[in-house]
Amino acid sequence: MEIVFQTMANGLLVGALYGLVALGFALLMGVMKFLNTAHGTFIILGGYLSYWLLELWGIDPFVSLPLVVMAMFLIGIAFYKLALSPLLKLPNIGMRINTSMLITFGSIWVLDNTMTLLWTPDVRSIMTSYTGQTLKLLGVRFSLTGLGGVGVAVLVALALYFILSGTYFGKHIRAATQDAVAASLCGINVQRTYLFSCGIAIALAGVAGMVVVSSYSISSTAGIGWLSSAFVVMVLAGEGNINAIIPAGMLLGLIESAGLLVVGVSYRQAIALIVFIIVLMIKPQGLFAKKEYGS
Amino acid sequence: MLKIAHIDVYYGDLQALWDVSLTIGEGEIVTLVGSNGAGKSTLMNTISGLLKIRAGSIEFRGIRLDSLPAHSIVEHGISMVPEGRRIFPQMTVLENLEMGASIHAARKVRQKTLKEIYEVFPILGERAKQRAGTLSGGEQQMLAIGRALMSQPKGLLIDEMSLGLSPLVVQELSRVIQGINKANNLTIFVVEQDVPLALSMAHRGYVIENGRIIDQGDAKSLLCSARIKEAYLGAA
Amino acid sequence: MNWKKLSILGVLVMVFLIPPLIWDIGTSVLNLLIMLFIYIILAQSWNLMGGYTGQINLGLAAFFGCGTLVTHFIWKAGVPFYLAMTAGGVAAMLLAVVIGLPTLRLKGMYFGIGTFALAEVCRIVVGGTFHRMLKMPSSYVASYSLVSRYYVAFVVAVLAIVVVYLVTHSKLGLGMVAVRDDETAAQVTGVNTFKCKVSALFISALLAGLAGGVFAYLRLSFHFIHMMFSPVWTFEPLMAAIIGGAGTLAGPIIGSVFLVILSEIFALKLGETHLIIFGFLFILVVMYFPSGLVGSIDQIRQKISGVGRKS
Repeated sequence: MEIVFQTMANGLLVGALYGLVALGFALLMGVMKFLNTAHGTFIILGGYLSYWLLELWGIDPFVSLPLVVMAMFLIGIAFYKLALSPLLKLPNIGMRINTSMLITFGSIWVLDNTMTLLWTPDVRSIMTSYTGQTLKLLGVRFSLTGLGGVGVAVLVALALYFILSGTYFGKHIRAATQDAVAASLCGINVQRTYLFSCGIAIALAGVAGMVVVSSYSISSTAGIGWLSSAFVVMVLAGEGNINAIIPAGMLLGLIESAGLLVVGVSYRQAIALIVFIIVLMIKPQGLFAKKEYGS
Repeated sequence: MLKIAHIDVYYGDLQALWDVSLTIGEGEIVTLVGSNGAGKSTLMNTISGLLKIRAGSIEFRGIRLDSLPAHSIVEHGISMVPEGRRIFPQMTVLENLEMGASIHAARKVRQKTLKEIYEVFPILGERAKQRAGTLSGGEQQMLAIGRALMSQPKGLLIDEMSLGLSPLVVQELSRVIQGINKANNLTIFVVEQDVPLALSMAHRGYVIENGRIIDQGDAKSLLCSARIKEAYLGAA
Repeated sequence: MNWKKLSILGVLVMVFLIPPLIWDIGTSVLNLLIMLFIYIILAQSWNLMGGYTGQINLGLAAFFGCGTLVTHFIWKAGVPFYLAMTAGGVAAMLLAVVIGLPTLRLKGMYFGIGTFALAEVCRIVVGGTFHRMLKMPSSYVASYSLVSRYYVAFVVAVLAIVVVYLVTHSKLGLGMVAVRDDETAAQVTGVNTFKCKVSALFISALLAGLAGGVFAYLRLSFHFIHMMFSPVWTFEPLMAAIIGGAGTLAGPIIGSVFLVILSEIFALKLGETHLIIFGFLFILVVMYFPSGLVGSIDQIRQKISGVGRKS
């Protein structure tokens, strides 16, 4: 019985991470209709940044997080300018989604293999004084890094919520998504709005990467696995429903853990995928469907 | 105030406007009439910056607008109520109006402008927290006009206001527009398929056909002109 | 029939058919060409669904892996290779019934990610079930001839090209293109869109399965059979088809040639370095040259001869 509780607890921790992983992806896709298949790759990149900041300069990953966020924000802006901004000229949303999928897909090969060239495909993880230490709560062991990850995930999700619904900038994003032409007619600089949102989305990937490398590990080719998780969570939450992302992630974590008890470790990755396929077939608007931003 | 001189506009390789020139003076209501596909919306989209000209110039209060992006044109004082209204369906009425005040100058006086809009369109005040997509056609048109006014424009463009609306609503809107024009000396350029409506609202009018301006003049006299009568008013 | 095109084809076929019979080409060149043929088959397979019918299938690897797996076991059981390979192709078609048909319901990008997810599930399940190495009895190793692999691969590649040619020049092919351009319009004008999509799916699966069979013939034994279900086997043909020119017959061929040449140039570097260049090319093509290399050549030819443009 204790094993069950422990597995569930782990599931919640992993789930929070899944939610965090999905945030940036859902921002780009649900709100701006850009399918960034390279999202996992950016997560890995963020992880590498945290890793090297620790290895080379001894900065703890939780401390260097603001640096990573800023760096990834700038990378996101560059990425938008180079790869995504031409897509705004496309006549309809369907084409935008398909073309962004293909373009970011090409980026995966460029980025993944460049990282492999630079840093080898070796698996990297972070060792600090508190790595591997656990806290016992209610009879269950929680890893410190895992708890830190949950804290980061919740804080970031709240910040994002505040930005999107409380600030002018967030409303500009929503307006531009619903009708980019009408938004420009209101005086909103749609290109610049999207530019900054993409920066935010990639910065979010960077945060996820930092949590991944401190709680688990990264390698230059692991990106697609995280993309998979992000996709599943987004579909569970419902496209465009940013507020449901963390809860949906935690739900996925729980389901995966429950499934682990049944099928065993070697089929673990398949569980999330099967859940994904079932949801796609039966309730594609997501389990938390409550049409928020998209149209 | 608004000077359009000899512009050519293309959609790709297809020419839509030929050598179009017109002027609108301060405080005037000017209308452009013509049948479907004549180029009215093309002209509106060009002035507001959504389309680019290939020849000629567009000047507003002495400043060249034709190479500016759409959002900059709003900053220079021209605001458009687009064809089909194009309000933000998932945002509330209030949020839609707030979006209209996105430019810096308008943001500062946002609250005051909101009050004014609510006075002109009381129904918007009543429905402030409602999702814009749930409003009726006429209410959405009011919202679209209100949103455009939130940017404190010096020139207002209205593209096909009457489409899909009942005659009563259209009359009411027409009355409101004329009222705003008189009260604030707001320059208004209206594009319409409903020729009698347009010519009854406006001071002056232009007629466009197949991408070319074919007639212009005082609104009253246009209404009486034989050509207009024959082409658009179904006179015998 | 266009005699000029036919004679060019004849020459090409002779160029590929005759030399290995007379000269000792060398194993590395033969290996390279065999992989080229396999990529051509896979690229044609993907292109039929993606380029012609507009269904972006991201799970092609499942059909390839299935073909490899099934062919391996049936051939090992003593069945003549040609039958084993056919069985591999048929098995892939059966797999298409299970994982392809349900996903056809999904629209737009969800079709792509649905197929991807299902292919990944296949990979994980296969990986969990077959963790030991799959070996061939030594008799097979003893009788191994690379040249015969070459000809099998060549024949199947030609077969794939011919099949795609016939399908796309038939009424079914017209329907497929209609589905790609505007599915709703196609439905409304009486095209059986479901039949077109399903046909594309099955033929694509068959070809990919046959490619897997050829691969099983080539490699004999496999350390990690689940690697044959890796997404790389979807994505490289996909990129080859798009770079070469989606929706054309020559596109997948040209794209595959590019891919193989690039991989040879960078063969000694760490990781799949040639993919960095391929990735860049891919992005360029998607953004600026949507008709791929084939289309761009056409465009250049048009510009030179001034066809279709007034001065």
